[in-house]
Amino acid sequence: MGLVHFAAEKTLASSAVLLFITVLMMAAARRISTCIMLFAAQCAIITAQILAMAYVHRSPEAYAIAGFMLVIKVLTIPYALSWIVEKLKAPRDVTASTTPAQSVFIVSALILLSFFAIGPYMQVLRVDEDVLAAAITLVLTGAFLMVSRTKALMQVIGLLVLENGIFLAALVTTFGMPLIIEIGVLFDLLMGVFLMGLFVFRIRDTFDHLDVSKLRKLRG
Amino acid sequence: MEIAFHFFVASLFVLPFAAVAAQRSRMARAVVTTAFFVVLVAGAIVAARGFWAGEAAVWDLSAFAPFPFALALDRLSAFFLLLICVVAAPVTLFSGPYVERHYGGAPRTWLWALLPLFLGSMVVVVTASTAFAFLFGWELMTLFSAGLILVDGDSDERRHNLFIYLLMMHAGAAAVVAAFLLFLPGAPGLGFGAMRAAGSAMSPVMKNALFLLAFIGFGAKAGLIPLHLWLPRAHPMAPSPVSALMSGVMLKTAIYGFVRIAFDLLGGGAPWWGYVVLAAGAVSGVLGVLYAIAEHDLKRLLAYHSVENIGIIYLGLGAALLFLAHGAPTWATLALLGALLHTLNHAVFKSLLFLGAGAIGHSTHTLDIEELGGLQKLMPVTGAAFLIGCCSIVGLPLFNGFVSEWMIFRSFLAGSTLADPASVLLPMMTGVLALIGGLAAACFAKVYGVAFLGRPRSAEAEHAVEVPLPMRGAMAILAAFCVVIGVAPAIVLNPLAAAIQTFVPGTPLLHEQLRFAHVLPWIAVAVAALMLLTMFARTAVRLTATWACGLPKLDSRMQYTSTAFSKPLRTVFAQVYRPTRVVEVTPAGETYFPTAISYRSARTTSYERLLYRPALNVIVAGAHILRRLQTGNIQIYLLYIFLALLALMLGMRFA
Amino acid sequence: MTAAISILQALLLIVAAPLVRGTIARLKAILQNRRGASVWRPYADLLKLFRKEDLVPTTASSVFRVAPRAVFAATVAAVLFVPVLHAAAALSLAGDFIILVYLLALARFFLMLGAMDGGSSFGGMGASREALVSTLAEAPFLLSITAVAIVAREMSLSGIARWSLAQDPSRISAVHVLAFAALALVAIAETGRIPVDNPTTHLELTMIHEAMVLEYSGPSLAWIEWASSVKLSLVLALLVALFMPWGMMASPSALGMALAIAAFLLKFVLLAAVVAVGESSIAKLRMYLVPDFLGVASALAILAVVFTAVMR
Repeated sequence: MGLVHFAAEKTLASSAVLLFITVLMMAAARRISTCIMLFAAQCAIITAQILAMAYVHRSPEAYAIAGFMLVIKVLTIPYALSWIVEKLKAPRDVTASTTPAQSVFIVSALILLSFFAIGPYMQVLRVDEDVLAAAITLVLTGAFLMVSRTKALMQVIGLLVLENGIFLAALVTTFGMPLIIEIGVLFDLLMGVFLMGLFVFRIRDTFDHLDVSKLRKLRG
Repeated sequence: MEIAFHFFVASLFVLPFAAVAAQRSRMARAVVTTAFFVVLVAGAIVAARGFWAGEAAVWDLSAFAPFPFALALDRLSAFFLLLICVVAAPVTLFSGPYVERHYGGAPRTWLWALLPLFLGSMVVVVTASTAFAFLFGWELMTLFSAGLILVDGDSDERRHNLFIYLLMMHAGAAAVVAAFLLFLPGAPGLGFGAMRAAGSAMSPVMKNALFLLAFIGFGAKAGLIPLHLWLPRAHPMAPSPVSALMSGVMLKTAIYGFVRIAFDLLGGGAPWWGYVVLAAGAVSGVLGVLYAIAEHDLKRLLAYHSVENIGIIYLGLGAALLFLAHGAPTWATLALLGALLHTLNHAVFKSLLFLGAGAIGHSTHTLDIEELGGLQKLMPVTGAAFLIGCCSIVGLPLFNGFVSEWMIFRSFLAGSTLADPASVLLPMMTGVLALIGGLAAACFAKVYGVAFLGRPRSAEAEHAVEVPLPMRGAMAILAAFCVVIGVAPAIVLNPLAAAIQTFVPGTPLLHEQLRFAHVLPWIAVAVAALMLLTMFARTAVRLTATWACGLPKLDSRMQYTSTAFSKPLRTVFAQVYRPTRVVEVTPAGETYFPTAISYRSARTTSYERLLYRPALNVIVAGAHILRRLQTGNIQIYLLYIFLALLALMLGMRFA
Repeated sequence: MTAAISILQALLLIVAAPLVRGTIARLKAILQNRRGASVWRPYADLLKLFRKEDLVPTTASSVFRVAPRAVFAATVAAVLFVPVLHAAAALSLAGDFIILVYLLALARFFLMLGAMDGGSSFGGMGASREALVSTLAEAPFLLSITAVAIVAREMSLSGIARWSLAQDPSRISAVHVLAFAALALVAIAETGRIPVDNPTTHLELTMIHEAMVLEYSGPSLAWIEWASSVKLSLVLALLVALFMPWGMMASPSALGMALAIAAFLLKFVLLAAVVAVGESSIAKLRMYLVPDFLGVASALAILAVVFTAVMR
């Protein structure tokens, strides 16, 4: 039990740092498969965080949520996305409107902005400052990815990262939403990803490319 | 000591007459030059005694002047006087043969008459102890340097550049005069002692205003971006020895003025002073060296590097102001030590580089490095001295530039102990200074590599010969200073720290902070031992042709040019240069068989477009509006006088 | 006693440098399904080169022969500042990492000059590219070490190593992670490894470091090759001393010395393996993408410095 306690403690202390690393690596990544793997790693870190908090607060609900997270977000969704990437046979690079260096600079600024923004709330909320900042960073990074990456698949990944951030923020401030809502959200996500996968094939078949910036011609 | 000081200053103003009198005979001219050199050496000795031994000297000439006019030599003044003399003496030595060869008749006489006057005005500036003496010398400096620039000719373009120079110098001087006048209520005679007392009793608003005026006024003279517009126009136009003096010494008088006002008379102030100075130093440092990289005219390149080094000095000054504002005088002393030592180092290696440029011009009649090459074999002493100058300006260890840059770095590191945001901003400046150093290394590898190494790129460079002995001797003296200060800086550091302690109160520097000065000689010994060991392992040497991929012969056009060398950096920093490219193909119809293709590329300077043009437009528009006041109607003018009378009466009533 | 150990660790780095290079080459060969040369091959190369004569182009000046020796002297002088076996280097003072970085800059400056002296296009090309890479790599190099120094409140490499030895290895510090990432990227750029430069290429258009030494032969080339090996092991030793110094001995003793040398060998073999795996799995970057690579390093280093105030 001492080892488990030690592991839980270390997880809670270092999850924020690891999330920052994944976020920075996602900004600098050049291939879609790298982004998918980093997303899976992010979800794994959040799952570990849930498990650690479950152990510390002794809540069986949390173990269930962690299980669902693991199955859906760490295994199923990344696998589905990789399957889509392979089936599409599209070029595997992340076409971005900012170079990797510029993206890393912007994401660094977002990280600092998150710390700056949550400053006034720290007296009210008795939470770990780092993890809350990490959550806000995930939300902002997800939004940034959606804005700067022009491939349709990257929009999906950006949305997933954003959802990760919201989930983590809820987890840290209120120790999670009720179990039913959690499960509902997770299955929603799963359905959303499959639907988006279908649409991506549709877009590719109709327009012969996946570049979101070229879809401007759809206006009337 | 006092008599020697009086004699030195007086002879600088007497020598011009001797130069005019001796203009006919070559022998007489040589005598005057030697006398000039001896006077400067005497000045260096006077300054050395003031700097190392702390002896003071005073010369009060208020009886002869309408306002209080006095010169005084305290430790800080002695340091700057030493700087002036130590640089001017070799430059004079260099000028002897240089001026003889390149100038004749009236221009030569003017040159030899104006040089001592120019130096004399600078001496008056750094030893002034009343505001009137300071400003007297300040304006004379501008005047005499303009005269020296005119010695080289006055075409339309030169007059335009000279006009810009005089204009900006006057604008700066106006700000400095305003700054001094703000001391008036507290110090009626405007003597520095009274001003010091008034400064400590001043209100913060007045102090801030004073700081801003002094910063802008001295910044324009020193060449901070964006007030540096005149530097790359004026410095290349002057004869090489004069460029050496202008870049090496005249810019330093601005640093002296700023240090005197901000640290001595005002005693430091609010933290935002430090941030402003740091920002100005960072921008000047980075932009200065970026513009230098794109140049291939040697003197313009060196002029931009002066901007960069002034930026580095201001980085040190900004750190010192921040430390003073946060109550850490020991670290402020270290930062000031780095900044002031960098002024000395810059004076020495910049004048060395300009003298080297003069030597190159003397031998090959061109200063465009794209036309040079292979000069190291033909001019070994010049090349070696120039190499030492290059290593010093880049800030490589074992040369003097590194010592001052290290101290500025060390003070940035110490900034992490202050309160936020200084605790993050000061270490961040480490990155800025490292970037500046890296860019300078790239630029000078280009300059030395293209000009001195490889094959000659023109007939002039192929037939270059070594310069006469006095010119070589002058460069060797300056190069020796670079190496000595670089390897054993303790000689200069200890008295300089004592000089700084006269106006920055606090505990003397810890031994630990100056331990660096004791480690450097060991590093030098290690490197020298290794070099000797490896060089003396004599091996057989065979001369062959350069590898040309099997081609029969390489010619000089296959080498990298200066433009080619700087291309990768210019591409990365294209936002700064915003180049415009024009490619013309003749005849325009036939794409595959043109008779000629011309390619022209030009850089645009963003500060001119973004800052000066709009400001100029606003001022001209304002002038247009004000012109409406000039109706030409006499009765309207009488109305103006009547209205002024009314306003005065009402003003007196309500006052 | 401590002085003797300090000198010994410097000599160890200098003498073992070609071995590190040979190990990386051997591991790369194994990963690429080849047999590869023996790990002692670089020593044989150096001996062969020392016995040959120096070929000097007719257009070259004295700088051509002085440059390789200056490069070697400056790189070896930089080794004196790095703690390897115990947390005290031969020379150490507050702010010594600045001297180290600038000694490496001195070596690089002379290498560029020697390259331009050959009078061929390749020398100029190599020098111009090296100027680009080194300019952009200096800022993150200094900033990342500065960040670590600020957290440790020690401004010398030996001091930082001492502080790191006393820390809990299982605690992850954001500043250290960011600084390590930045310094690792800079290390790749400084030592001229894939993805910045290919040390084993034969195509002149893809060379940066190799193009600068194209004209050199015999003992001059030997000094340069040895200096670049020493630089590689110096940078690796720097990474070890700053971020994973455990194993260094606290006080001189025979057991401690054996442990320290074993730890040193183990860590170097591990880092060599990481370098070899990295080089075999990533493609070399186009030259105009290298500034982007170094831009990422700069962003990480700046973030590390800012984090010293944020996550205090």
